[in-house]
Amino acid sequence: MRLAAAAALTAGTAVALVAVMLGVWWAPFVVGIAIGIAFPRARIAIPVGAAAGFLAWGLLLVADQILYGLGPAAQGLGAIMGFGRQAAIPVILTCMVGLLLGLSGAWLGCAGRSLVGPRGGSHLLQWPREGR
Amino acid sequence: MPQNVRDSGWLKLRAMKGARSKVNLVAAVIVSAAVLYAAFFGAGPLPPLGPTFNPATGAWTMALDATIRNETLRLAGLEQPVKVTLESDGTTHIVAQTDHDLFLATGYVHARFRLFQMDLLRRQGEGRLSEVVGKAALESDRFELQLGLLRTAQLEWSALAPDHRARKALVAYSQGVNDRIAQVEADHQLPVMFTLLGYHPRPWTPIDSLIVKGDMTQTLNFNDTPLVMALLQQSLGPNLTGQWFPLVPPNPQSPYDPGPYATQPSVVPIVATAAQPITDQAALAAADVHQRLAALPAGLVATTGGASNNWAVAGAKSTNGGALMAGDPHLHLTLPAIWFQLSMDSPGYHTSGVGIPGTPGVLIGHNQHISWSLTDAQNQQTFYYLEHEDSTHPGQYLWNGVWRKYTMVAYDIPVHGGPTEHLAVKLSVHGPVITERGQTTSVWWAGNIPSQDLDVLMGINQAADYQAFRNALKGWYSPTHNFVYADDRGNIGLISAGYYPQVAAGQPWLPMAGTGENDIIGTIPFDYIPQAYNPPSNFIWSANQRQVTADYPYYIGTGSNFFNPGYRSNEIKRVLSQTGKLSAADMMALQTDTRDFLAGEITPILMQALAGALTGRDQQAADLLGAWDNRMEISSAAATIWWTFWQEYIAQSFDPWWKAKKVSVDRSELNDPLGQYLEALALAGKTVCAPPNCTAAVASACPSVACERLSLTLAFRKAFSTTTAKLTRQFGADPKKWTWGRMHQRTVENLAQIKGLDYGPRPDRGDANTPLAAPGFPSTDGPSWRMVVDWGAGTFQATYPGGQSENPASNWYSDRVDTWWNGEYAAMLTSDQAASSRGAKAWSLNP
Repeated sequence: MRLAAAAALTAGTAVALVAVMLGVWWAPFVVGIAIGIAFPRARIAIPVGAAAGFLAWGLLLVADQILYGLGPAAQGLGAIMGFGRQAAIPVILTCMVGLLLGLSGAWLGCAGRSLVGPRGGSHLLQWPREGR
Repeated sequence: MPQNVRDSGWLKLRAMKGARSKVNLVAAVIVSAAVLYAAFFGAGPLPPLGPTFNPATGAWTMALDATIRNETLRLAGLEQPVKVTLESDGTTHIVAQTDHDLFLATGYVHARFRLFQMDLLRRQGEGRLSEVVGKAALESDRFELQLGLLRTAQLEWSALAPDHRARKALVAYSQGVNDRIAQVEADHQLPVMFTLLGYHPRPWTPIDSLIVKGDMTQTLNFNDTPLVMALLQQSLGPNLTGQWFPLVPPNPQSPYDPGPYATQPSVVPIVATAAQPITDQAALAAADVHQRLAALPAGLVATTGGASNNWAVAGAKSTNGGALMAGDPHLHLTLPAIWFQLSMDSPGYHTSGVGIPGTPGVLIGHNQHISWSLTDAQNQQTFYYLEHEDSTHPGQYLWNGVWRKYTMVAYDIPVHGGPTEHLAVKLSVHGPVITERGQTTSVWWAGNIPSQDLDVLMGINQAADYQAFRNALKGWYSPTHNFVYADDRGNIGLISAGYYPQVAAGQPWLPMAGTGENDIIGTIPFDYIPQAYNPPSNFIWSANQRQVTADYPYYIGTGSNFFNPGYRSNEIKRVLSQTGKLSAADMMALQTDTRDFLAGEITPILMQALAGALTGRDQQAADLLGAWDNRMEISSAAATIWWTFWQEYIAQSFDPWWKAKKVSVDRSELNDPLGQYLEALALAGKTVCAPPNCTAAVASACPSVACERLSLTLAFRKAFSTTTAKLTRQFGADPKKWTWGRMHQRTVENLAQIKGLDYGPRPDRGDANTPLAAPGFPSTDGPSWRMVVDWGAGTFQATYPGGQSENPASNWYSDRVDTWWNGEYAAMLTSDQAASSRGAKAWSLNP
């Protein structure tokens, strides 16, 4: 299960990251839905979806920091948002948006799936339960 | 357990689980909807979070935009390759092989660094701000559409022949701007403010450039002086108004063109004769417009005490033997600044200086042979007409004996987050109807005369001598500017070029009858406007003072209500007229001169008045003032004492009148003319009497009648006592700690009014009267560009309080402010010098 979750996280992050780079900023939400449908347990699906969203947006910020330096941009955004030149706030807010998109998508996927079919029923992926 | 019981329990469990799943789904849907709503549409003050904070295409792209590197780009519309060099501070040098490409590249560069500013400027003039910022800008949009910058720009554009050089320049410039817009759209790299406000720039058009030019005209020359005068006359009466706000300044000034004046025989001088009465209806209309203009954002309307300096020194009086020239236009200081510094080289142009983003060309600068700068000439270009209407002719007004229908123009104003506003604008022969409260009033404004000022500017850019410079200026209409001139042969000159409206009859400093007899009949002929060339003094200067003496036969505006009080002009003249030769360093020192000329006049009189009458704290304060050099420096306590004293003295002299006469105009708006009047009285040893001392029979004539008044000595002592008491309350009991920097600060404001992106507030020197102008508390206006030219040494130096980029993440957002603040300058390099300068970047623009 851990391996599957890690694989889903990696794949989800990669897909969401590429899509976000192309301007499809809501991709983590869709990826989250897919993860939610694929995973039977909310307590796994939701953290994985949230992490994928967080990483997709966060890694792009890291890339920006390496390529251009984000300090002045973060300070400027903080000032525009009315927080003075607090650079941390826009960075946190940005990561939170990615995280919330992934989280809510995964939750929605999970909840929808649980209503459509019983656990272990006609869903796309059926992961073996650990400990059985 | 029986089977049916087990089944029942199972079913209940399933039912409970099913219900829980449904609740879970509902909760997930609600949370997802909330997250997506905030992401797509924003929440409260937050913008749409998704597109805004997308690290790849949202606001974070400002980090990429701030990174300047060598680039090779393809631009649609270029005819030949263009080379662009960016100095380490962003000063831009464009070298093009055709004039067309020069203007195209200028448009591209302006848009590259200032696209949002350009969009704001065109939206302001076109009445389209509400479309992006909501109803907060609706009153501004209504006003602009009424006033008519858009209508004028459309007329100017339609008047340009297809082969006109200005038309070609505007088309090429627009192409360059649109190349940049296409680039940012394709790369998803919109400037941050577009992203945050959630809109995309529409294509740039030549009319947009003409609108931006109109914005500047409005800022510098549209005002409500006649309405203020009407309100004053209604409350104070014609005699007091005439004495306190005369046509010719009451205080000593330094006109640069002292005459004698050649005139045309047909000219009938306008003098203040029997005043026309101001009816209650006219006063109501005046009050309505005055309040409306006062509520507009700062900088849209010209206010009293406008400030700019320029001067030139002939080769005969300079240490290097060549002409010297200095210019510092004073404007509302913003980030990004109104100016963009560049040099432009092509077969037809070799200019360097500053221009306004949104318009092609260099507005202030130099070419290979001449240099020029400008100050606002302050002559009256706004006139108000009271239209004659009656109930038997609805929708009509009487003009030259004929009832005419108003022309109606309809506009839609899209409002972000609200319904579209429909606006109908009425036009009489005089101009747009500006209010229908009280008496229908229309406004004639010189800025609404279609003119080809861009063509004039191109002529100046290409001029090689004074004659060509002067010829080019013949077509300049509005705003009227004092164009100072110096050339590489040691010549200097000054021309107050522009439109000087003349009326057939009437009192143009008040709203006039719209029935025809008071109409504008033309302008002062160019040969008769204020001007001078190589004067015997070997120097020439302007600082928004009245340019001519009382002998000048034409009406150019009321003397004390729009022209500057003249203190900067007097100080500049004082410094330039000192014996000995002058250098570029002297020019720089004068541009940052903090000596208050008025203080220099009044302080000795004040010290005489205070002699022997003070003790303790008041005596300490007087001692500081007595030892003062009249310079408004941050560390000077005497500067604070002087400034507060003069404000208290104005208040002490006039507030009783304002109360007694129930004057509706805020007295502090009129401190300049009232101060001039007090200055003139003080120099003559006189004061203004208090209204209770005048009997009712003579009150309307006071203070010309003999009535009881405090002696100057007692009046000064009273105001000084109030001053020290006030400063003690504000800054404590020790006068040495009343330093000017504690009272007076300066802020360079963000153009989009984002406080966190302001520079300052920070203690600063100067005041409204010093050559280094710093009016206001905090001061938000001042020298927007400082340039010093030394033709003898072949050096050109300049700076401005801002930076080349509007991007807050850029090193070039506010990097020049400290340089400017410290009174330092940067060399204006040629494109070749720039290419080899340290840290320079190169862009190759290819077809």
